[in-house]
Amino acid sequence: MTSPSDELKNARSELVSLFSAGEVSETFQENYTEIIDHYFRRSVQESEAGQKLFRDKKPFAMVAVGGYGRRDLCVHSDIDVLILFDSKVPFSAKRLAEDIFYPLWNLGLDLGHGIRCIKDCLTLASENLEALTSLIDARFICGESPLYLSLTERLGKRVLPKKGLTFSRWLEEQNQMRMAVFGDASYLLEPNLKEGIGGLRDYHHLLWLTKAFFHLRVPKDLEYSGVLSHKEYEDLESHLKFIHLVRNHLHQGSARKNDRLTFDYQERIAQSLAFQDLDGLLAVEQFLGQLHVSMASIKSLHRSFLFTHFPGSRRNGSDLVQPESLRAPFHSDQGEIHFPSATAILSDPLLLLDIFAEAAKAGLPLSLESKRLVREFLYLVDEPFRTSKRAARGFLSILNAPNAFDVLDQMLETGFLCFFIPELEPVKDRVQFDHYHLFPVGRHLLQTVRHLKTLHQQRDILLADIFLDLHDPEPLFLAALFHDIGKTGKDHAAKGALLIRNILKRFGYDRKKMEDVYFLVHHHLVLAETATRRDLNDEKIVVQCAGRVGTIERLKMLYLLSWADGRATGPRAWNDWIANLVLELFFKILHILEKGELATPDASRRVRQSMQQVRKQIGDLLSPAEGEAIFEVMPPNYLLETSPRAIARHVTLFRRLREAGSKGLESAFCLEAEAAPASGTYDVTFLAKDRAGLFSDVAGVMALNNINILSARIYTWRDGTAVDIFTVTPPLDPIRTEEIWERIKEDLAETFRGKIPLSERLQQKAKPTILFRKNTLTRQTHVTVDNESSDFFTLIEVFTDDRIGLLYQITHALFTLGIDIRIAKIATKADQVADVFYVLDLDGQKVLEEEKVQRIRDVLLQELSKS
Amino acid sequence: MKKVEAIIKPFKLDDVKESLSTLGVKGLTVTEVKGFGRQRGHREVYRGAEYQVDFVSKIKIEVVMEDELVSDAVRVIQEKAKTGQIGDGKIFIIPVDNAIRIRTGETGKDAI
Repeated sequence: MTSPSDELKNARSELVSLFSAGEVSETFQENYTEIIDHYFRRSVQESEAGQKLFRDKKPFAMVAVGGYGRRDLCVHSDIDVLILFDSKVPFSAKRLAEDIFYPLWNLGLDLGHGIRCIKDCLTLASENLEALTSLIDARFICGESPLYLSLTERLGKRVLPKKGLTFSRWLEEQNQMRMAVFGDASYLLEPNLKEGIGGLRDYHHLLWLTKAFFHLRVPKDLEYSGVLSHKEYEDLESHLKFIHLVRNHLHQGSARKNDRLTFDYQERIAQSLAFQDLDGLLAVEQFLGQLHVSMASIKSLHRSFLFTHFPGSRRNGSDLVQPESLRAPFHSDQGEIHFPSATAILSDPLLLLDIFAEAAKAGLPLSLESKRLVREFLYLVDEPFRTSKRAARGFLSILNAPNAFDVLDQMLETGFLCFFIPELEPVKDRVQFDHYHLFPVGRHLLQTVRHLKTLHQQRDILLADIFLDLHDPEPLFLAALFHDIGKTGKDHAAKGALLIRNILKRFGYDRKKMEDVYFLVHHHLVLAETATRRDLNDEKIVVQCAGRVGTIERLKMLYLLSWADGRATGPRAWNDWIANLVLELFFKILHILEKGELATPDASRRVRQSMQQVRKQIGDLLSPAEGEAIFEVMPPNYLLETSPRAIARHVTLFRRLREAGSKGLESAFCLEAEAAPASGTYDVTFLAKDRAGLFSDVAGVMALNNINILSARIYTWRDGTAVDIFTVTPPLDPIRTEEIWERIKEDLAETFRGKIPLSERLQQKAKPTILFRKNTLTRQTHVTVDNESSDFFTLIEVFTDDRIGLLYQITHALFTLGIDIRIAKIATKADQVADVFYVLDLDGQKVLEEEKVQRIRDVLLQELSKS
Repeated sequence: MKKVEAIIKPFKLDDVKESLSTLGVKGLTVTEVKGFGRQRGHREVYRGAEYQVDFVSKIKIEVVMEDELVSDAVRVIQEKAKTGQIGDGKIFIIPVDNAIRIRTGETGKDAI
């Protein structure tokens, strides 16, 4: 006959292989417990030392404690067992322990053991609450049963009544500790099955408390005694079964007592549990979704149970609320909200929503009974319910309340939220199997709301300031709650935006605000994506972004949403590093919107229209792809400030120039002059490959030929083409204009080849003669260098008297300073000139060094005081 | 053996990574970093209140390679990371005494 330990070893490995084959998935713990019980019965019987103790009238009982006492043994659970004596532990008990325990250690099982008399057990239990919990679960295996009965009786009569309050408080502390260490398993992506909130420990707490205070013996008593309803008990049982099953797989897969379901095990377990990829949802995502549902349900049951039966565990402060502040027909009892009756709900189903609105208003939670009623009457939430004005009003009042998160949490937990907004159902439990998303979608949406509601607790005062500035944060809250509602497939932001429109239409929601929500949902990724993937020093990128955002109010909401969304996703989605980039983008867009010229809806519309007209005019000239490529290199202010006709003209010149460039004519340029009879001026267009000093050369040649530049707009396209548009005085000789323009072209070509010393020639020309008297009305010359107004350029502004060659003087001085002019706005009013240059240094950077800024100022002032 | 360390703009990472692996670089380390160079921190004013933005978010790439690869690596990093705008970053080249692969104990060239 095999020894008890061999028998145990064989039975255990047989059971485990049956489990691996999927045979005993639901009864594993029972079966395993039975195998261990059998071992103890046999080994006690066959132990020489054991039999001697009985013969010597020193009887003992084998008692299973802890999880083994509850018959909850998973594959690698500890086996906790107690050898119980009456009043004194005899010396020979040591031999007994050797007989019984050593073989278990040899098998490599994790054994927790004690050899104690009843009195020691009781002392230990009253000193150490953990020991108390393991004794609460005590179960008789074999030996002298009266000893066991006496232990449990004295535990119930002498220890528990004294320890009651301390015990429930201790459990409360344990819960807080578990939350801090293991987190809320009902939504974490690597949950701890046992110690996490919503884990098996929640169920253990519930059992201990009922055993200690309601004198229940076995779990089934939870239902018989009315602590739980039939349905609740049934649900509890099936959820526990599932979690135990997962835990067994996890123990087996990791070959040790491991309760943290890390990513590396999830796919394998999902496979073992026969989950399959479905509708774009991975098997592992569905598996985790179901696990979360189970854990959330246990968490909720545990919480309600504590709340109902142990009011001491309630959060502080809730008893400050006056019961009479509740609106009829609801009433409060022990700080919880109750329905007047079940029949009241039947006659007015909207009470189902009203109670949550009341909870939001009063800051009180629903009672366990109320939640039970909500669940039971969910079928009353039908289309008329969803489209009723009262429901919409109530729902919005919840969303706007400071404690919206707590209330939404209860709405989600009871299933009401998904009945009221059915669009949430398909995404609620959706889990993304990656290291990026920490929560399933439903939870994530609620967390996003929570972050916005707790903005004032943030260290970052800017966020709070922006929030306080919002005219109306409601669209933001709506967008926060629904931004991922389209997460049933690709392009979830666009999909979600359409869904949210339907939902809000059902609410009869304000049209204008609806568009805000639509916008926020549709673009909730724009800031983070642009900030991390695009060049924030590229003005066009920021302007396009600003154009999409449109208004400052929307920008603020979008920024707060990006922040809350990122925070609610997980540490990889949001950290200081990303926050920094998004903040930079926020300010750049803000500045553009504040200046208002480039990014207003009107501006973007005008740019779109003008691009369309240009396409029409040059359509047959280029392929659509080539056309788009050219639009792509045009800076936003150019597109906005230039007429379609002129743009079309520039495109033609641009292509001509490119051809010349491809033939190696690097210094090629195009110049066209056209009379503007209405104003008696000429419009001159000049295109060339940009280089430092180009503008000053052009200005110099014009001055040399007695052409006065009245205004100039110079642009640098993103491919390095300079496009300058001048309004100039007509050539002095109106009959020979063509000839003069030709000469200017020749002079330009000569200058570019370095053949004309412009400075000298101009100085000569500007010398006062009898014909040109020096202007005596000299006003003070001002030069300012401004790094604040633009995020992309340094602005140099010059105010001075007009004179021949002035523009050349200024721009040439800038050239010698190593300054590259990217945009210039030249304006002459009477004799006074106000020129603004948008410049960068030769490395393409803003001019930030104080010394260099000072030098620019000095050199310009000196240069301009010369004549 | 040299370590090439480059601070680049975040959105240039993919380009740089790709071209380095085409060159035959076998592995690289990427870190999200914050700092400032000529770009400096700057002040933002929002409704009269000032918010100091001290650092700029950048990506740091570290690659250890044989000497022969260095000039090509530097060239492609510079090519790919350049926008011509402010804050394109820097490249540092640092001599490396030795390298050891922990798993096998291989050293020098074999370990990189």
